[in-house]
Amino acid sequence: MSFREKIAWLSLIAMVVAYGVYFTLVSPAFLPAGASTGYFLALLGGILTVQAVLVTIASIVLAIQTGRDANAPADERERAIARRGAAIAYFVLMVGIIVVGCVMPFSAGGWHIVNAALLALVASEIVRYGVIVMSYRRGWHG
Amino acid sequence: MAKPLPGRVVNQIRLLRFMANEMTQAELGERIGMTRQTVAAIEAGKYSPTLEAAFRIAQVFGKPLDEVFQWEG
Repeated sequence: MSFREKIAWLSLIAMVVAYGVYFTLVSPAFLPAGASTGYFLALLGGILTVQAVLVTIASIVLAIQTGRDANAPADERERAIARRGAAIAYFVLMVGIIVVGCVMPFSAGGWHIVNAALLALVASEIVRYGVIVMSYRRGWHG
Repeated sequence: MAKPLPGRVVNQIRLLRFMANEMTQAELGERIGMTRQTVAAIEAGKYSPTLEAAFRIAQVFGKPLDEVFQWEG
């Protein structure tokens, strides 16, 4: 498995776990009554910080394990796979932003919109990394 | 636009590596600026390289392009 594939797996797993926890805790089943802006900010800030620290440490460990390949520039297949992931994720992000920016303001407000926008970003990133790892696993033509 | 005829690119890289003193995928990758995994993907037909990369591979083995890559229709 190449260094970039390992990083894509790491990023995908970290996003699913981190934002899985976040969106579970802000769901109606777990959200404390009268949760304030400070609660959301602390929760989001805490999860983002933990995710960033863990991904950074894991990336350093992977880079050390991989050796000099970790510093090599992406080759044409890796760049093509990254482009494919970004192109497909773009449409997910577009749909999410249209819903958040053009539909939700008429029916929701405050943190509902913020969380929906965050969900759109997270969904597009998960699709991006998902396409990338699938392209590495199944081959470019898979 | 008409639908393209079915077919795929096949290659002789494995054979050419064997004939080049069992050159490893990593060695070939290093000479053409690609990772070992990308060389493996090309060899297995899971990725078709760009024309430039194909020429580089052919150059490493000292062969014309059509002795390295063929179209199997």
